Amino acid sequence: MPFLALITRNVLTRRVRAGLTGLAVAIAIMTVVALGVLTHSLRRTAISVLQTGSADFTVAQKGVSDVLYSSLDNSQVARIKAEPGVQSIVGVLVAAIKLDSNHPFFLELGIPPDELAPFGVQILKGHPYTATATNEVMLGWRASQDLHKNVGDVINIDGNNFTVVGIYSVGNVFGDSASMLPLTTLQTNERKPGNVTLAFVKVTPGTNIDALRKRIEQANPEIATVRTQSEFGRVDRNLSLISAANVGITIMALIIGAIGVMNTMVMSVFERTREFGVLRAVGWTRARVLTLVMGEALLISFVGAMAGVVLGYLAIKGIQRVPELVGVFQPDYTSAIFARALGIAFGMAFLGALYPAIRAALLVPMEALRHE
Amino acid sequence: MSDDGGPAPIIQVTDVVKLYDDGLVRALDGVTMSAARGEFLAVTGPSGCGKSTLLQLIAALDRPTSGSIVVEGRDLREAGNDTYRRTGIGLVFQLHNLLPNLTALQNIEVAMFSNGRSHGEQRARARELLAAVGLGAKEKVTPPRLSGGERQRLAIARALANRPPILLADEPTGSLDSAAVDRVLELFREIREREGLTLLLVTHDAHVASTADRIVYMRDGKIVAAPEADVPAAAR
Ligand SMILES: Nc1ncnc2c1ncn2[C@@H]1O[C@H](COP(=O)(O)OP(=O)(O)OP(=O)(O)O)[C@@H](O)[C@H]1O
Ligand SMILES: [Mg+2]
Repeated sequence: MPFLALITRNVLTRRVRAGLTGLAVAIAIMTVVALGVLTHSLRRTAISVLQTGSADFTVAQKGVSDVLYSSLDNSQVARIKAEPGVQSIVGVLVAAIKLDSNHPFFLELGIPPDELAPFGVQILKGHPYTATATNEVMLGWRASQDLHKNVGDVINIDGNNFTVVGIYSVGNVFGDSASMLPLTTLQTNERKPGNVTLAFVKVTPGTNIDALRKRIEQANPEIATVRTQSEFGRVDRNLSLISAANVGITIMALIIGAIGVMNTMVMSVFERTREFGVLRAVGWTRARVLTLVMGEALLISFVGAMAGVVLGYLAIKGIQRVPELVGVFQPDYTSAIFARALGIAFGMAFLGALYPAIRAALLVPMEALRHE
Repeated sequence: MSDDGGPAPIIQVTDVVKLYDDGLVRALDGVTMSAARGEFLAVTGPSGCGKSTLLQLIAALDRPTSGSIVVEGRDLREAGNDTYRRTGIGLVFQLHNLLPNLTALQNIEVAMFSNGRSHGEQRARARELLAAVGLGAKEKVTPPRLSGGERQRLAIARALANRPPILLADEPTGSLDSAAVDRVLELFREIREREGLTLLLVTHDAHVASTADRIVYMRDGKIVAAPEADVPAAAR
């Protein structure tokens, strides 16, 4: 009889208990998967704001709860522009509005038309808006498809009618699902004259970018510069909080799962004391007894983890239907998340089974045989 | 009780003392005995005299408080008795100690893990043993659904799984009726003829003991020269 067959047999012998333990593992893994996908996807969506365009780095207000609450004024932008090494700086005002119930999170990007090309915007159809137009808008190609609006159509945004004059592409989902209009028009509509949300900096070739960022941050303590995804938390505290919560909940899930596994295995080992005595008496080594208990815990956790991944996938499908998240949340299933879920299931089995397995292995055969 | 001269004994127990409960119980009180290769030795005596304790120490399930046990030239006090338990001896317990959730066949197979044979060979050996003890038709049956005699025969089959040179059996006929007892005794005789092994049988049944080549009598943790007149009656 293969060893794995014996492990399976032992698990199936106590199938109700094994099933309940597997369920606990499954729920823990479901939480890990769903939160992992959610956090990762939200982060990626948010990061796209900063990566729209072809800048070397992005400037935002430091420590705001959400990057969209960042606010920079003309004088700050001008000061940065004056730093040696800055070739160009484009200030962009970002506003999130509710278009309709299907599009609760629609972004307007205010950007002067002459900055479109340096910013990396490609016009696919039609032409750019003029600098002072109050009723012209361009749609990203994804937004155009999604809203069924083409060049020449009229679209009502936040109570104002705009004519679609062009369709653009910036090469990322976030930007291509948004709209662009003249900076001054958006500033007026949002009542934020002279303000932008983010500024995108391009440096002159040969500049030491990190040194320049340091100089800018030292001269302007209220702003942060962001270059990579991992630095994003510096300007969006919500997202760093979500990430921290994700880590915390993952650890808690691991501990809860491990305790569940431990409870089951301790009970099982205790009930089977005599069995381990018999196995030792017929020549099993301590190592083999240890492996048997560990193997049973691993099998339960592994099957639980498989179910948890499926449950996690279904949970994400559910989350996607939450109206507030439509359009914001594009689930992104990375293999890293699933690998981590499996790793955590393995960790649960290992942590949970270690004590009972050692206990079983250290039993003195004679005393174990005398048990009960 | 040890044989003088002749070939070296396969089991040599010398001055073995076993104390329990911090010395309050003297289960064995200086036991010296031996068994010759191929011998059928019965150990008998009243309940509580230390028969099982002696057998368990020879089986390396526990260690003597003092004294030595040498089996096939190997001192059991030296560490690492897993291999000895697996291949050096076969053990039939006073209570049969089968695993209730495994089938008869699997109960034999668990004793064969890491004996170096393929799963196929292990299975073939397990079937052969089941047939030998008359349980060929019961390979898929679990112990709770076997009769007492069948369980005892299955336990004997398991003890023989790794072809040990020595079989240690603790009251293998204890709970059986006389027909079943005869069946087990017949089985022992067959096995000894076929495999030529040394058999050490603990029993308090005088009839069972009388089938052995030699009988060792015990009382109060010691080997005694002559049987107490009332041993068989008192033990029951
Ligand atoms: N683990 C233990 N702890 C304490 N005392 C023990 C232990 N094992 C055995 N004893 C005691 O040692 C003595 C010998 O016990 P043992 O089981 O060897 O007797 P036995 O001859 O096999 O009896 P029986 O015929 O009833 O099986 C008894 O007095 C018993 O109570
Ligand atoms: Mg006994």
